[in-house]
This record gives sequence, C-alpha cells and structure tokens, in this order.
Amino acid sequence: MMRNLYQRLNLADGRWALPCFIGVWSFLVIAPLVVLVVFSFFQTQFFMTVYKPSFYTWNDLFSSGRFEVTLRTLRIALTVTVIDLAIGFPFALWLAKGKTSRTIQAMALALLTIPFFIDLSSRIIVWRPILDEHGLINNFLLASHLVSQPQHWLLYTEWPVHFVMVIDNFPMMVLPIYLAINVIDDTLIAACEDLGGSPLRVLRDVILPLSLPGILGGIVFTLGSSLAAWVEPSMLGGGFVDVLSNSISSAYSALRVPMVAALSTFVVVLLAVLLCILALVMRRFVRFGEVFRSMKP
Amino acid sequence: MSNLASPSRDLWSYARIWPGLAKWAGWGLLALIYAPLAWLALLSFSERPLSGIPYPLSLTNYITLVKTPGWTGPFLISLGIAVLVGLITAVVACFVGRAIPRSPRAGTIVLIALLPLFIPGVALGAALFIFLRVLLGLNLGYWSIMLGHVIWSFPFALIMVLVLTTRFDHRLLEAASDLGAKSWRRFWDIEFPLLRPAIIGAGLFGFLLSFNEVQRSIFLRGTATTMPIWNWTMASSQQSQIPIIFSLATLILAVVLPLLCLVFWFIFVRIEKGR
Repeated sequence: MMRNLYQRLNLADGRWALPCFIGVWSFLVIAPLVVLVVFSFFQTQFFMTVYKPSFYTWNDLFSSGRFEVTLRTLRIALTVTVIDLAIGFPFALWLAKGKTSRTIQAMALALLTIPFFIDLSSRIIVWRPILDEHGLINNFLLASHLVSQPQHWLLYTEWPVHFVMVIDNFPMMVLPIYLAINVIDDTLIAACEDLGGSPLRVLRDVILPLSLPGILGGIVFTLGSSLAAWVEPSMLGGGFVDVLSNSISSAYSALRVPMVAALSTFVVVLLAVLLCILALVMRRFVRFGEVFRSMKP
Repeated sequence: MSNLASPSRDLWSYARIWPGLAKWAGWGLLALIYAPLAWLALLSFSERPLSGIPYPLSLTNYITLVKTPGWTGPFLISLGIAVLVGLITAVVACFVGRAIPRSPRAGTIVLIALLPLFIPGVALGAALFIFLRVLLGLNLGYWSIMLGHVIWSFPFALIMVLVLTTRFDHRLLEAASDLGAKSWRRFWDIEFPLLRPAIIGAGLFGFLLSFNEVQRSIFLRGTATTMPIWNWTMASSQQSQIPIIFSLATLILAVVLPLLCLVFWFIFVRIEKGR
C-alpha cells in the first residue's frame, strides 16, 4: 500500500516540483508585489491604515516636494549607470574577446562576483576614513603640497555618493555583458574582419547588436540598484543627499504603510518605464529574435 | 553597400590603445573595489582608526571587540539563518532546476523564478513586509528574514543548477532504467553525483548571500537582529563603535574570502570539467 503510493507520487522523478514551486512562488513573490500596488491606493489617518481606495497617497507623494527628490534620484541613478556602462562594456569586451587567457578570465569573474558577498555597510563605511577631512586622501594631498586646505567636498556631498555607487554597481554591469559577448560566435567576427571591416565596424555591426540582451540586463541591474540605493546616500551623503529610498525608510519608521507601498511601487514603475524607453530605442537598431540565432552552438 | 570599403575613415579604431584602455579602466575599477577592503583590514589594527593614518598599530580594537557584548548573538543567528537558507535553496533549486528543462513553458517559468533579481531590494522587502505583517497579521522574526533571504538567493541558485541540468545527457538515465534501476536509485546514483558541483555551489551562494543581506532584512526583522543589521545600526549611529566594526568586518572577511575561493574552485574547476 505504502509502496504503491510512493510509486504513484514518484518523488525522485521530480515532475511534481514545478507545480509546487509555481504555487509557492506566486504566493510568496507575486502576491506580495500585487498587494504592494494595491496598498498604495489606501491612505493613513491618525496612524491607522484606512482601507478605502483613493489617489490620496499618490497625490501626497507628488505634492510634498518629492518631485525634486525624484529628479535627484533619477539623475544620480542615470549618471552612475552611464559611467558604469562606459567602463563596463569595453572591459567585458576585452575580457570575452580580447584573446584573454582562461585563467585571467576566471580570475576576473571571481573578482567581479566576490563583492556581492561582502557586507555592504562595512564596504561603504571604510570610505569615510579615506575621504573625510583628516582622511587618507586629504593627508596625502596636504603632505604633497597639492592643496593648502583640507578638501571638504570629498565627503558628505553628492560626489562620494556617485563615486562609491559607480564602484559598487560595476560588477552588476560587467557580468551580464560578459556573458552575452562570450556566446557570440567567433566566426562572425572573423567574417566581418575578412570582409575588410575595421574594429569600429565589427563593434558597431556585429558585437553591439548581438550583445544587446546583456547590455539591457546590465542596465536593469545597475539602474534598479542605484534607483533604490540607500546605504551609500545615507552613509556618505551625510543627510545632504535625499533620495527616494530615504523617503521609503522614513515612511516605514513612521508606519505609513500606504506611503511605503506607493514609493516602492513608484521605484519599480520608474525602472520599468526607463527600460521600456530603452527597449524601444534599441528595437530600432536590432531585431531581438535574431540575437539568439547567432549564438555559438 | 557603398560605405563598406572605406577603412581609411575608421583608421583610428585600429589603434592599439583601445583594448589597453578598456582593460586598465576595468582593472582600475576592480582595484577600487578591493583596495578599501585592504585598507579596512589595516585600519582595524590601528590605534586611531578614524584618523586616516593607520600608525601606531595595536590590537586595541580586537580587545574592545572581545569585551563588547551584543554582537555574538546576532553573529550566531546570522550564521544559523545562512546555513538554513543555503540548505533550502540548494534542495529547492535542485528539484526545480531538474524539472524546468522538461517543461514545455520553460522560458516563462525561468522568468518568473528570476523576478526577484529585477525588483530592487527595498521594494521587495517592503512588499513582503506589507503582505506578511499588515495583510496577514503575522509576527515577523527570524522566519521572515529567512524567507526573504530564500527568495533573494533562489534565482542565483537556480541559474547555477540550470547551467548543468540544461545540458544533462538524459540517455544516462534511460540506460540506468534499462539496467533495472528504480527512479530513486537512478537519482542518487546517476543524476545527483553529476549535478553535485552545481548543487553545492547553489548552497554556498545561498549561505553567503543570506549572511550579508541587509536591505530586505531591515523590513522583515520584526524585533530580531542579524549580523548585517547590527553592523548597519552601529555604522549609521555611533561614531565610537566604528573601530569595532572594522575589526569585526576584517574577521568576517577572513572567514568569507576562503569560502568564496572554495565556491569559485567548484564553479571553474568542477563545473568546467563536467561539461
């Protein structure tokens, strides 16, 4: 009897895994995201959440000076993403197609992945003794007589926030682009070169179109994490760099749940809109379906 | 194609400088990731770590760290949560990763499973907080932190397992069946050993991602405290505690870095061989 049931369930076969997974995953990931959007249409009155749908919280979000905060968040996130792309794409290209040895590739990939696993607050807090007015850089600048006064703009301004965010998001930009470039068939590049294509043409007509999914992926991860960045602005901005995530955490500590929901939804929507624009712009240059046909077998 | 044969216009793109520039800009940024970590380790031995100059060296911070109560609890709890998260993600990713290549709608399922990668951590933390605490009225604590970590690390684990399962040779399983192996035995004797590097890698990824997670934990903590949350509160509140954090971070790095080398050894040596 037991044995029969066991056979019927066929545990080791594993076909049961997918329906179970989809069920649990929709309950744990998709349902909360839906609830998040729904809650943004409620409001807070006298520290209680009022469950009556309205646009009150959304109105509040845009009326209370958040426009400026949104613009600043967008500006910082876009700047960081553009710089990371400008350094990350060439590096990924060199890593994947620059006749780099297997060992160097593996080493670079390991070095790019390790930062994901190191505590963010201690990684960022260490910049304080480096950048502050008695810090390493100022000591060096003063000792070498390059400046006569300690430089105060090095810490607690927008500058260190940009700088450290570029560093922290770099691996997220490089890894997807590297994976995309790595699967491009070498014979396509050789063919383009044989036909007299200059390195610029190879880049523009072969590599760039074929690595677009990876570039998009890198942009999603970098933009997403810098739109919601929280540790860098609060630790290195010294209270002068007010971004959307600061609003989220202050609304959270005030237990204004609908506001938390609206702001979080807003961040996700912002990310989605930016990506749609990007995808539309890119679609003019490439057909995405053809990208997959050109991969190495 | 009138502009095909005009290489003279693009002559500058042949310059040797471009690959070199790409290479050194990238390595430079990588150096900017790692140099502060070395500096952190050096400062942790300094008597005045906030002064910017590491000398004179001493073990004061480590002695204060040992005498300071309050971090051992969160440390052990983080360790426990991370071990459980690693185990859960490894087992779940193993079963889901095996089933996905056989499904007719594999692409959609992978996209749904990778969804947490595309949602910023703060937004996912807030969503889970509202769902579990406000809507369902549950008391948050270690279990909800763990849940958040599993959701966060599962996509990474799944990708690792899928690398091996998508190119798994199913003729091996058919051969085992032909030789009379029952399904369970076929799994343990054939499939599991071949997938083992990916499953172990997935578990280690889960462990390390959970051990350092702070953005989601802050929303899901209830009143519980983990190591990264403790670090975060110390770092953002009291200046006087920062030297202790330096020594603690150095100690944790000393544990995490060798573990990571192990993970990458698994990925690059074992999985490469499995190809």
